[in-house]
Amino acid sequence: MLATLTTAVINGLRGELIRVEIDVAPGLPVCHIVGLPDAALSEARERVRGAIRNSGFEYPMSRITVNLAPADRRKHGAAYDLAIAIGILVASGQIRRGGGAWALLGELSLAGTVEPVPGVLPMVATLARQGYRRVIVPAANELEARLVAGVEVHGVEGLDDAARLVAGPRGRTAGKAVRRSAVEVSGPRPAAAVARGTTALTARLAPIDLGEVRGQHQARWALEIALAGGHNLLFVGPPGAGKTLLARAIPGLLPPLDDEEALEVTVIESVAGLLDSGSLERGLRRERPFRAPHHTSSYAALVGGGPLLQPGEATLAHRGVLFLDELAEFDRLTLDALRQPIEEGVLTIARASGRVRYPARFQLIAAMNPCRCGYFNDQQRRCTCKTGEPEKYVRRVSGPLLDRLDMQIEMARVPPQVLLKGPMPESSATVRRRILAARHVALTRNGGQPNAHLPGTKVLAACAMERPALRALENFAAHHHMSARSVHRVMRVARTIADLAGRASVSAQDVNAAGSLRDPALPTADALAA
Amino acid sequence: MKARDEWIALASVEGVGEETFPALLAAFGSAGAAFDAVRDGRFQAWFAERRAADGRAPMSRPAVDNLRAAAANPGERLEAITELGLWTYTALDFDYPARLRDLPNPPFVIHGLGDKSTFQGSRHVGVVGTRRPTPQGRALTTNVCARLVECAATIVSGLAVGIDGAAHAATLEHGGTAIGVIGGGHHFPGPRAHIRLRDEVVASGGAVISEHHPDSHPTKGTFPRRNRIIAALSDAVIVIEAPHKSGALNTANHALALDRQVFVAPGRIGDWSTAGALALLRETPARPLVGLDELVADLGYFDSPVATVVMQGDAPPSREAALAMLGATERVVARRLCAGPCGLDLLVTDTGESPAVVSSAVTLLLMRGWAHAVGPAYVAAGPLAA
Repeated sequence: MLATLTTAVINGLRGELIRVEIDVAPGLPVCHIVGLPDAALSEARERVRGAIRNSGFEYPMSRITVNLAPADRRKHGAAYDLAIAIGILVASGQIRRGGGAWALLGELSLAGTVEPVPGVLPMVATLARQGYRRVIVPAANELEARLVAGVEVHGVEGLDDAARLVAGPRGRTAGKAVRRSAVEVSGPRPAAAVARGTTALTARLAPIDLGEVRGQHQARWALEIALAGGHNLLFVGPPGAGKTLLARAIPGLLPPLDDEEALEVTVIESVAGLLDSGSLERGLRRERPFRAPHHTSSYAALVGGGPLLQPGEATLAHRGVLFLDELAEFDRLTLDALRQPIEEGVLTIARASGRVRYPARFQLIAAMNPCRCGYFNDQQRRCTCKTGEPEKYVRRVSGPLLDRLDMQIEMARVPPQVLLKGPMPESSATVRRRILAARHVALTRNGGQPNAHLPGTKVLAACAMERPALRALENFAAHHHMSARSVHRVMRVARTIADLAGRASVSAQDVNAAGSLRDPALPTADALAA
Repeated sequence: MKARDEWIALASVEGVGEETFPALLAAFGSAGAAFDAVRDGRFQAWFAERRAADGRAPMSRPAVDNLRAAAANPGERLEAITELGLWTYTALDFDYPARLRDLPNPPFVIHGLGDKSTFQGSRHVGVVGTRRPTPQGRALTTNVCARLVECAATIVSGLAVGIDGAAHAATLEHGGTAIGVIGGGHHFPGPRAHIRLRDEVVASGGAVISEHHPDSHPTKGTFPRRNRIIAALSDAVIVIEAPHKSGALNTANHALALDRQVFVAPGRIGDWSTAGALALLRETPARPLVGLDELVADLGYFDSPVATVVMQGDAPPSREAALAMLGATERVVARRLCAGPCGLDLLVTDTGESPAVVSSAVTLLLMRGWAHAVGPAYVAAGPLAA
């Protein structure tokens, strides 16, 4: 008998429909899967056989052919398992379909349980767009799938549950259709082990409150501006200056995602397998992403790619912050690949296995030492780098990338008198309130864009500068021989400073303050530095 | 071949130096005669006689080989010099830089690029220091050189990285004349990063000189010898920052031996960057550099033509007058900077203003040229530094 079912696959961030055809015919008992399956998919036959047997069904002793259409698309992953197993049961007559049309997603274990798969949200969304109204998904992905409106979602724990749903009240299932329980030698699975893809990357950067950061007034202020206006920011300073500490305060300062952004971020996390089902009880994910990949991360990990064209950290940081600690230690090619997303907000990955476009509109916040030993220009400690080494160290970050960092500030180690005597620092809650207010003002004025993304044609109007402010800008630009791009950059930052201060128009003081935030204090050859 | 050319050819033989050159002249009468002696075997006899008398050879084996090669074709050594467009002073020349004759062992030849008249000037000041200065050291170098250039002084230094480079760059930036003394031949003018600086020194009316043949590599020993030339060419030497064992200390000692004035920028006790400078102050008659006005007074440079013009035209305002010209917040920040270099963090803490206000004031001071950014710190400059 022949059975056909519908399931879906992920291509980039979009789901695509896959039709699964199963033919169970007399012949030698073999199972063929055709339609360009990859290794994980070819192994589906073993999982499916185990799952069928351990769920109280018979694995048919016949020739089974599974075809995945369209046949010319390469298919990967284990999300087809459930559809193949149900198909075999239907084609071998063990289930009589009486429950209407279902699309199915899910990976099977040998015990017949249905395991979660990545990318359920976009796959269900595609199924819904194509007119499928009822979808069976793994129970662990149920909340995620329910985010899609207009679809009846059923989460199933095991193959037997799925079989009963497909059979429906009027259909029937052969055999007992009861899962055999496995002998749990290691005891039952702890709940924590069920969530997939939790990453240790950000564990090092446990969030802190800004109230714990003493001194570093300029850096705190710069961070506030950066987060309010979406400007890219670079901290340069010796070890122990507090660069990473400040970065750890970022998650507590970020504004929440709006509806549209939240959907984008949730889809990306779904595809990357990072969605924690617990966090979805209140709907879409609302926290702005904060990603802090280690500097040893590979090109594929940061930019995206790999055999499955997976999204990288740049995409995972979409609508949020990408924090690159030790910027100069990153692989140079990898860093330069970030130039496209910084400008355009998308990443195109073209490989032999296909071509995908991932959104990657992140805000780049980076930190680096001024030289290899870290103490170049330090007032107390001697730089132990050899002559010329500091310049070489800084040159690892290419000029075009540095140019895209709107604010560059140099941090010194906090002097003890500030550390011990300085005023009590503001807490994250206070600063965040200011950031939210300034951001709200900016988004309203700019038509939904943060100041950092204001096009050059609109900056001047947005700044609404009066005569003294214009003169200050003119003086500053002339004094530093600035290009048009740099002038726009100063204006954007000045606009955010004014927003934070609650000023409708940018003042001369805002312009001068913005000017001080791009301090090219990196090591340069003597002749230039002197 | 002229006697002078033979002199140059003999002096440029690698291995014929401070001891051997005069010994050969004394033995054979002239450079030309020395070459003849090498060719006709008298040199061999002299060599054996000296070895027997002193118990050691008067010259090393490679030096003898070099000398033989040069004697076979003395003109060849000169070609490399003319190729680079170098001029040469020999100790025989009447216009040989007079200051160098103060040395007990003046260089036998000086190869140079640039303007020869630079050496005739009346005001030469050496500015030397560590290859790894702190930001403050750099800033002080810039201020000192700017002030000396105003007094029409020529700045002598070593074209090395660090204080040397800062001194040359500041001199050029303020339209002054610089002399760079390099430690190797002209084919090796110091760090590669400074090739442009070398060219600018030459282009702006200064000179770059070396006592070595253009092909000779700088070695560990050539730099201390170079330092004696810097010391001799200068009427006074200013040591900006010198850690222990710094080459700048060597220059200062040469200068003291030559009766030149030596000024040392004192540092904080315990700072590694000025440990050597403090030792110099303790152990030698070198004097501390306490201010630019005091420096100019000690050097006796009151009547400099440039300074007079400045006095007649718009005189730079005094520190108090300058402070009075500033806006309120700028003045608060400027006063703090006058008390010593500090970063934005301390400025915010000490003035009690917000970072936005302080940053804005700092930007204005930087644009006026009344402050310099050095690394993460700001340093008072212009009238504020007076």
